[in-house]
Amino acid sequence: MNEVMAPALEVQSVVKNFRRGRGLRRKITRAVDGATLTLPRGELFGLLGPNGAGKTTLVRCIATLLIPDAGTIKVLGHDAFKDSLFCRQRIGLLTSGERTLYWKLSARDNLNFFAALYGLTGKARDKRVDYLIELLGLKEVERDRLERYSSGMKQKVSLARAILHDPELILLDEPSLGLDPQFARFIRQFIKDELNRKQGKTILLTTHYMDEADELCQRIAFINKGKIVDVKPPEQYKRDIPHTEVLEIRCQGRPDVAPIQALPGVERVACDFNDGMTTLKVVAPRAETVLSEAIELLRNGGRILGIDVKQPTLEDVFLYVTGTSLGADTSENKPETE
Amino acid sequence: MSFAATAYVIRAEMAKTLRIYFAYPIIMVYWAIFPVLWVFPFLFQGKAMVGSTTSAAFQQLTGSGNYMAFVLIGAMVSNFVFSGLWGVGNSLREETYWGTMEYIIASPTHPLVVLIGKTLAEAAVTTCIVTMQATTISLLPFDISFTVAKVLPVMLLVVLLMVGFYGFAIAFAGFTLLIKEVHGWVHTLEWVFFLFSPIRYPVQVNPIASFVSVLIPLTWALVAIRGIILLNRRAVGLWRISGILLAMDAALLVGGYFTFVALERKTRRDGTVGMH
Repeated sequence: MNEVMAPALEVQSVVKNFRRGRGLRRKITRAVDGATLTLPRGELFGLLGPNGAGKTTLVRCIATLLIPDAGTIKVLGHDAFKDSLFCRQRIGLLTSGERTLYWKLSARDNLNFFAALYGLTGKARDKRVDYLIELLGLKEVERDRLERYSSGMKQKVSLARAILHDPELILLDEPSLGLDPQFARFIRQFIKDELNRKQGKTILLTTHYMDEADELCQRIAFINKGKIVDVKPPEQYKRDIPHTEVLEIRCQGRPDVAPIQALPGVERVACDFNDGMTTLKVVAPRAETVLSEAIELLRNGGRILGIDVKQPTLEDVFLYVTGTSLGADTSENKPETE
Repeated sequence: MSFAATAYVIRAEMAKTLRIYFAYPIIMVYWAIFPVLWVFPFLFQGKAMVGSTTSAAFQQLTGSGNYMAFVLIGAMVSNFVFSGLWGVGNSLREETYWGTMEYIIASPTHPLVVLIGKTLAEAAVTTCIVTMQATTISLLPFDISFTVAKVLPVMLLVVLLMVGFYGFAIAFAGFTLLIKEVHGWVHTLEWVFFLFSPIRYPVQVNPIASFVSVLIPLTWALVAIRGIILLNRRAVGLWRISGILLAMDAALLVGGYFTFVALERKTRRDGTVGMH
């Protein structure tokens, strides 16, 4: 395909397995299972899934940090592994976590170093670094060491690094994870308004925050247990869900959800247990038809703290489609990190 | 990437490494004390065991009775080697610890270019320390003098020694990407070198050590350097030993490169690039 016409990113049947242990104890975990995606140029695309779903692994494969076991990845029509130098020059990467920069160096020194890795030198480098420092509001602290920055400020520097070489494709892996609401809002606005709308960048954003995906993305892929389950615009997901209500019950303790799951009309039940409190999400065509029976069943198990009937959100759609809550940790899919 | 851009990355990496190195003020204490004090434990140990700084038995083995100078030269040269091994081998592990390794791998610059920058920064620091050490021992009464006629061939030998060692260190850096551990391996290698090359003792005293030592470039370099400094021998076989070191350099550099590339690829396949 002509490079000018090629999509920004084509992921075709990518498989990535992680092997742990040796001999009889050897265990193979499939982190990405036949993922296929195509991102046209200029799209802001979301990859939404719970922890351990395979989002980060897929992003790392695209960034050439991981070599897939099967499948192909093309960036602007070029194979990411056969033509890795071309692709790396055109990919900007931001991974989650604040420990991705040199804390003993200033923002400017960090950006100068990474600019050199992308072949930016001399005045062109200085001009680009000046521009990004100004754009991201880092001017006043540009000479301070990063160890004195807040998490949000560090994430701004990470974002500046991701776009330092003016890449066509930007991979953002959980960009607002762990940030306070003010910085998270800034980062989201910057991604949507500056990078996507103004600069026309193609962006692949992974998140497990449904609000973030809903607010920012033109299309969203649900990923669960390494598989891309569905790809649609967020509005269409919500339209396609065949029920209009979700019954949310908060109660003390850890109730048995099996009897609720067995109630007639109940499609799915998601259960989040946190700090001694359980939040149950009961998906049913009509919430009031199961309300009284669900309360009756839960009353025996502990104290009910609150009941809500809500309109379905993207999270409810995810639950409906995959049977897994976005708050869940499906990390049996995930490789060990230490 | 063009040659100029590659050179720019090496320069940027050197500047970054040195900035981070000197970002810890306590390092200045090491710089102020170590190059002066390092010699005294050797001196006191020698005096306690032999009673003076010369030994007749040592003369029979090495041609020079000045065993103190023998040990001090061995310590200085091995300092170069071990600092390089530690600095280069540990450098990529440091990057994984800082969380920056993935960004280096994901860039269009080959990680070996970054490693060369780290190597040169490490070499600059070690050269300063060894120069200070050499100055210290030349001021003390060990009968060691550094004239230009001695220093130039010694520098040539040190450069030839270090080129090969950095080839080895590059392979070691690739190995650390895989095993995520440096301390144990560096110390193990240190003791292998202490045992099988004439750093602290003439390997002739042990036939096995003597046999194995010819495979280690450090042995050849030490024999020549000691010959030049202690025995004032211009004809220690400088060109022959330089040729041997060059051949070893070529083997170690090529081996180091391919080992690093293979291990870096393996870590990308295993998904352990960013782990530490």
